[in-house]
Amino acid sequence: MIQISDLTFSWPGQSKPTLDIANLSIPKGERLFLHGPSGSGKSTLLGLLAGIQIPQKGSIKMLDQELGKLSDTKRDRFRADHIGTIFQNFNLLPYLSPVENVMLGCNFSKRRVEKLRLSNTTAQHQANTLLEELGIDAQTRSRSVGELSIGQQQRVAAARAFIGQPELIIADEPTSALDADNRDVFINQLFEQATHYQATILFVSHDASLAHLFNRKVSLLDINGAAL
Amino acid sequence: MKLITLAFKSISNRKASVLLTLFTIAISVMLLLSIERVRQEAKQSFSNTISGTDLIVGARTGDIQLLLSSVFRIGHATNGLSWQSYQYIKQQKGVAWTIPISLGDSHKGFAVLGSDENYFQHFRYGKKQSLTFTHGRAYHNAQEVVIGSEVAKQLHYHLGQQVVIAHGMGNTSFHNHDDNPLTIVGILAPTGTPVDKTLHVPLKAIELMHGPTHRVNTTTIVRNNDSSHDEHEHHEHHEHHEHGHHDHNVRESEPGDLIGEPTQLTAFLMGFDSPLYTLQVRRNINTYKPEALSAIMPGVTLRELWGMLDIVEKILMLFSAVVVLISLLGMLTTLLSSLSQRRRELAILRSVGARPKHIFTLMCSEAILITALGSLIGIAMFYLLILVSKGMLQAQFGIAISLSLLSGYELILLSVIMVSGTVIGAIPAIRAYFYSLNDGMSIKV
Repeated sequence: MIQISDLTFSWPGQSKPTLDIANLSIPKGERLFLHGPSGSGKSTLLGLLAGIQIPQKGSIKMLDQELGKLSDTKRDRFRADHIGTIFQNFNLLPYLSPVENVMLGCNFSKRRVEKLRLSNTTAQHQANTLLEELGIDAQTRSRSVGELSIGQQQRVAAARAFIGQPELIIADEPTSALDADNRDVFINQLFEQATHYQATILFVSHDASLAHLFNRKVSLLDINGAAL
Repeated sequence: MKLITLAFKSISNRKASVLLTLFTIAISVMLLLSIERVRQEAKQSFSNTISGTDLIVGARTGDIQLLLSSVFRIGHATNGLSWQSYQYIKQQKGVAWTIPISLGDSHKGFAVLGSDENYFQHFRYGKKQSLTFTHGRAYHNAQEVVIGSEVAKQLHYHLGQQVVIAHGMGNTSFHNHDDNPLTIVGILAPTGTPVDKTLHVPLKAIELMHGPTHRVNTTTIVRNNDSSHDEHEHHEHHEHHEHGHHDHNVRESEPGDLIGEPTQLTAFLMGFDSPLYTLQVRRNINTYKPEALSAIMPGVTLRELWGMLDIVEKILMLFSAVVVLISLLGMLTTLLSSLSQRRRELAILRSVGARPKHIFTLMCSEAILITALGSLIGIAMFYLLILVSKGMLQAQFGIAISLSLLSGYELILLSVIMVSGTVIGAIPAIRAYFYSLNDGMSIKV
């Protein structure tokens, strides 16, 4: 799924590289817990994986595609097609309804729309299905985003990440705003969906206590040669 | 979902600030359009006041002064020109027609103009339009008067009614010629010129009113002469004494002498067989030995006069342009200040695959939407304003504002506003573009 080798990245104007990863490979279908305390280069790595930045040295291969060799536009399109993202919190656009927020995942990707068409459904229908599966009932779906609890918002964000079946879900501290009960429920729902839609999960958190729920745990501090 | 829908939903989410911005843009657009429309129409009705006249001749005075007194009935024509000179110049080669004008009397604040039948035959205004009657006909003898549309409207006069002319130009006038009541035989159609506010009488009527003892200075315009006020105040009550008469049709009257034996005129208008004569005759008049006279070409002098008002016009224009600019800068402020709060929104859009150019388009279309909506509201307010103030402008300033469609010029103004709005909107859009390039998906607040 993902193969990183000999990667170095430094931000413009900085002499020391922020990231220096010799090797990281994530097989398809894995649920990887990436432990990344602050200062470990976590955001930078996610930016590289999403194709926002490109490495100065080394390579990132995703789905056998060398990200660094794609044009800016193609990388943006690649992200839209293959990666779903869940942020820490405030994932949603406040001026769209929950369903519209989920459908936003299809807005910039022809591939996701095409996939929905092949499975005989529409973005609207699939958005409702996903929300239902994640425990957001019809009544909640009709509310405005601002009226949802943080837990509900995160599940809407998860639905948006999953719509149109992208291969990789990047979850950047999605549970840090949730309490312990909600957190476990959320992660389990995430896994269920990942199984159902055959997605690989890259879960990034500074909270190592969640690691036991995952197949594998990698600490950025260990693999990043440039970390403090 | 289209980007434009997204932009629309995004701005409707920020109602308060967006509404305020919309409102300022709407007001500024309304202001600009109104000022421009009034300016255009004022200029239009100004230059439409007289047409088809090649020369205006009066006693030696400034060009603009002569124009103001003879055409706009404003100011003092301190001297008249003698009847002999008029008769002489009239005979010159190439003269097609002349219209003698004798001003100086008034009726309830409206100017009284003495002339002859040539006035109705040859006077032209606007685009060489001649005077037409809504009711009645031209005067045939010295006991008849033809009134302008505003006079009829404001004083509720109708055909057959008798009116009394006062000497001088005051409203509460000094000396009413109440021994010479005149019958209204004609009401002119509206022209949007000073003609509407004028009572037209034969020269002879003026002569008769003043009688042999009043011969002095019948053609002199005396404006609101306070010294003579007390002396003649007691005549005021006569003004309404003929209000009883109603709507009997005007009988055809005996044609009589319209001219009489005047000694002086305020001015006269001339038309030539060919415009080629204009300069030659003008030179002859200006060097006319027996009397010091001035001859002006009304078109040229109108332009000169408008040129004097040009600076006022330009300042008005400048002010309304600045108001528009300020409103657009207001929009810039709103968009820029909201931008920092919206970096998260941009990051979310980036994460679902929006490219920087999408972010740019999104931000730009917001500015365009706001400017366009503001302009539309402004146009609506502009028409509302015209509708409301139309009557007042016509009555007070004689400016006829039409409720017509936007002119090409006004459309150009609006497109300039739209383009400026877009350019100004590009500023936050460019910032957002770079934010989205640098921030990427990492959320920075």
